[in-house]
Amino acid sequence: MRADEKILALDATALGQRLRARELSPVEVAQAYLARIEATEPRLNAYITVTAETALEQARAAEREIAAGRWRGPFHGVPVALKDLLYTKGIRTTGGSKVLDDFVPDFDATAWARLKAAGAVLLGKLNMHEFAMGGTSDNPHYGTVHNPYDTRRIPGGSSGGSAAAVVAKSALATLGTDTLGSIRLPAALCGCVGLKPTYGRVSRFGVIADGYSLDHVGPITRSVRDAALMLNVIAGHDPNDATSSHRPVPDFTAGLDANLRGIRVGVLRELTDWVDADIAAGFDRAIAILAGLGARIEPVSVPALHLGLAATFVIARAEGLDYHGGWLGERQDRYGQATRRLLEGAMTIPALAYIRACKARAAIAREVERALDGRSALVAPTTAIAAPEIGQETVAAPDGSRAPVVKKLVPLTAPFDATGHPALAVPSGVTPAGLPLSIQIIGRAFDEASVLSLGHAFEAARGPMPEPAI
Amino acid sequence: MPSLDAQTVKTIARALHGYELDDAAAEALAQSAAAMLADARSLDELGLEGVEPPFSYEVLLAEAERLMKTKG
Repeated sequence: MRADEKILALDATALGQRLRARELSPVEVAQAYLARIEATEPRLNAYITVTAETALEQARAAEREIAAGRWRGPFHGVPVALKDLLYTKGIRTTGGSKVLDDFVPDFDATAWARLKAAGAVLLGKLNMHEFAMGGTSDNPHYGTVHNPYDTRRIPGGSSGGSAAAVVAKSALATLGTDTLGSIRLPAALCGCVGLKPTYGRVSRFGVIADGYSLDHVGPITRSVRDAALMLNVIAGHDPNDATSSHRPVPDFTAGLDANLRGIRVGVLRELTDWVDADIAAGFDRAIAILAGLGARIEPVSVPALHLGLAATFVIARAEGLDYHGGWLGERQDRYGQATRRLLEGAMTIPALAYIRACKARAAIAREVERALDGRSALVAPTTAIAAPEIGQETVAAPDGSRAPVVKKLVPLTAPFDATGHPALAVPSGVTPAGLPLSIQIIGRAFDEASVLSLGHAFEAARGPMPEPAI
Repeated sequence: MPSLDAQTVKTIARALHGYELDDAAAEALAQSAAAMLADARSLDELGLEGVEPPFSYEVLLAEAERLMKTKG
């Protein structure tokens, strides 16, 4: 194995240890990743902006500091990339749209500011579905992001570039955002880990809004341990975000190796009824792995979940229109047609529908809390289908009819944006066609630790995923 | 079931949002709006009587404090 291949093979946890021990230089690490970006981008299109000069400058600074004994922590010198929805001071931030193709923020999003303060190295800004308003990452302005397992297929979205880059090893870890499933969906379709923390756990400050009350920022990584490490850095109260939680932030890596024997895990049967045959078979295998770890598997019924997508859709579109109202009036021709139609459609949402959707969140959250009572976590498939082909508009439903792809991407993820519970997507194998499968682990509010612990044990028991084609 | 027609959608967009829609867009939006409003009505299945919207006074005060710092 060549030297740069050895570097690319390390997860954040292992790389951070080598950097601290000065067995590797942050500069050679950054160079290896920049070379990988150059090699993969023609087939992947995961990046909107590559910040090579910034990355090398930050890597040189990290090298000097580590050599001088000023190690900042596990992300010091580690190369990351950000969904282009997060503000980066002095670096163009497009939101995946031509509306902002010349926008250069004068401050950093809090999540990025915290990673930067921890010594992370910025490789660039990642491609995505325009303004995070869709699940395909088929971007009309910056091109389609491709799935590393099969480049004819979508990576999911809206954080499609964030997941594709992690799996293609053109970034070691990334940040995404999740309003209806935009961290977990691409993580599932691309075969990596995606964590939507509890609402309020990670600041939304400096993140272009999709739906204020539904937006979550979280890590997309190669391993559950990396997600826990990254959450350690980005979590915590931020006075610049009024919805940011004051709850103390534990060390999310501390309980990763907890013994799971005898814990109670609820299987959300309603959600498993909506999935296609390959997903159902993969989910059954995943449940068998959890049972093999000693978890007590219990079927749970939460009928209210079937209305989670309707509630989140109304809220996200109404809040999104409020955020975009000014731009839509002044720059409507710079929006892609699909995004523009979504926003225009929101003009007809009555106030009463918005209020009812907010009330529905409370009603659904009550049911999820009830299902979690006495249990460590709930589990379900992350998506109803594996990655569809780029441009594909419908998929076969279990009853033989055709269903729109868009309706199959987020119905299993959106309910937990509505309720704000933490939810982790972990790869669970591949379909017979070789496409990634994923299990979703949902926990009690602010109990990311239990979700990560279960995900970590599952990941170890599952064994390695097949290498992606790219 | 009540529904929206294209002309109503155009009127709402113009009167409430100062936004002009062409005929084709208004027609498409009338159809999608009808579906979305039907979805919104379906939320009543959850038995929302007696449920209050999850409004937080703490968040209101925190936002006021943030605005004092940023906007004076």
